[in-house]
Amino acid sequence: MHPQRVADPTERAGRDFIGLIDVNSFYVSAERVFDPKLRDRPVVVLSNNDGCCVALSKEAKALGIPMGEPWFKLAASAARLNLVAKSSNYELYGQMSDRFISVLLDCTPEVAQYSIDEAFVKVRGTMSELLSWAKMVKDRLWKHLGLPVCVGIGRAKVLAKLSNRAAKKLDHLGGVCVWESVPERHGEQLLSNLPVDEVWGIAGRMAKRFNAMGIETIQQLRDADPVMIRDRFNIVMMRLVLELRGVPCLPFEEATEIKDQLIFSRSFSEPVTTRATMEQVLGIYAQRASARLQKHHRQAKVVTVWAMTSHFNADGAHGPSVTIKLPSATADPVILTRAVKAILPKIHEGVRYARAGVVVTDLRKTGLEPTFDVFADAHEDRGIGPLIESIRTKLDQPAIGLGAAGLKTGPAWEMRREMRSPRYTTHWDELPVVHAV
Amino acid sequence: MRIEQIQSLDETDVARGLLRAPESVAAGYPSPAQDYQTAPINLSEYLIRDLNSTFLVRVSGDSMEGAGISDGDELIVDRSLTAGDMSVVIAILDGEMTVKRLRLINGGVVLQAENPSYPPIEVQELSELDIWGVVVKCIHNV
Repeated sequence: MHPQRVADPTERAGRDFIGLIDVNSFYVSAERVFDPKLRDRPVVVLSNNDGCCVALSKEAKALGIPMGEPWFKLAASAARLNLVAKSSNYELYGQMSDRFISVLLDCTPEVAQYSIDEAFVKVRGTMSELLSWAKMVKDRLWKHLGLPVCVGIGRAKVLAKLSNRAAKKLDHLGGVCVWESVPERHGEQLLSNLPVDEVWGIAGRMAKRFNAMGIETIQQLRDADPVMIRDRFNIVMMRLVLELRGVPCLPFEEATEIKDQLIFSRSFSEPVTTRATMEQVLGIYAQRASARLQKHHRQAKVVTVWAMTSHFNADGAHGPSVTIKLPSATADPVILTRAVKAILPKIHEGVRYARAGVVVTDLRKTGLEPTFDVFADAHEDRGIGPLIESIRTKLDQPAIGLGAAGLKTGPAWEMRREMRSPRYTTHWDELPVVHAV
Repeated sequence: MRIEQIQSLDETDVARGLLRAPESVAAGYPSPAQDYQTAPINLSEYLIRDLNSTFLVRVSGDSMEGAGISDGDELIVDRSLTAGDMSVVIAILDGEMTVKRLRLINGGVVLQAENPSYPPIEVQELSELDIWGVVVKCIHNV
């Protein structure tokens, strides 16, 4: 059943609802689709360089492992706990996230992706239609993709978020909740038990300020005078109060997905100590920046490059940076790679750099202004950027690159992903294996 | 030397045309096929019904030889389909993804191999069975 087809046309007016759908423990769930052995086991997914836990399965949470726990503290006891750790498999998560959004688009035309594993939708209908639509979405995502989700629906975004949280926490709801269909008595009880910092957009310090004026629970916040809240805090907090009352104030779509800058920076798995290695690192970041710009049809006019020693460096900190104004806006990998080399004279041989980054700013839409830079851009029309990207996708990431970034010899600083599962959905040589036995 | 700005030509295409010769010049008799040109065959379009719910897997083992599925073949699996009698399915058995033929006969549920050396597996109820997806095509290496 589709909630947009409302039986009673008089009900249609003013019956817009917002839904929030998110995947439960997304990274872990994506791993479990292709590796059934991970089901029911405690699983954690680790951050870049296998540093700390960024996703935990329900079973791992039950063991008392906190989010962000460094892996080195857990590794020794993993076998005893039956705990499995996985390196981040971004190729897999990205693909499953794209499919998640596509399936949602099959269920309703208005979808606004909020993060890799969450999306807001606009839906209409009676309470029972909304409830059965929510169940349909949940079942479809489970059947088609193997991803478990929770669906929360409410009159406003903040209520959708709250509703989603209820769907997640209260087992008897079966993973779906329409806030306005919760019996008033239960709803009020819930709101009077939840602290203000459970409201989307209210964090620790803000919560303390509310507490200081006697607002401890979400119920008290909702019932506070919105004008007083605006005067004591700001317009953003007043909007939250109104949203809690079911008055939509937040825009359905967030601002453009690509902001006015893109940042590529990483900590190295081991320090970079030579200019030559730094050139290779920055060359790779520049080419990633180029690929991302091209994907979003953007060009940059300014590139900033920086490198940094560790905060704990005994020999004193060193953090050179250079900003380069490009002759014209570009996403060309050759020009960006050339530009980032401007920092190399400032890199000291022998200093142990722990991080480096490339930031492209002053972005504009591709083709917005004509490029007329005959001397620098002669190769630009030949599509070197897209060509490199297609080779890197077809073969493997290090298959080709410009300049030092194309060197195959061991970039020791590259991200460590020792416990990464196969890239099941993007690499022909890493397809899941099915047994014919 | 760096040219900061040249404004005399506002049509960039014109400017480019002046600076660069086109890479090839079409001459001679036009192709008689040009009115019949369409896009080349797209295999994905023919083999995949629903891109979202379709996954590729690789076969290891010879228990499905009788169904034309050999060791090392790739299977196209559609998770959105509902398995019925005679469907070739990916089922989860002991934590492994396994390819079998599903039989629903006289209320019984059986997972069959298509190779006499492998015994069938009987299941009490269909709901006990963890079916991962339905196999729709096999890419066989000849």
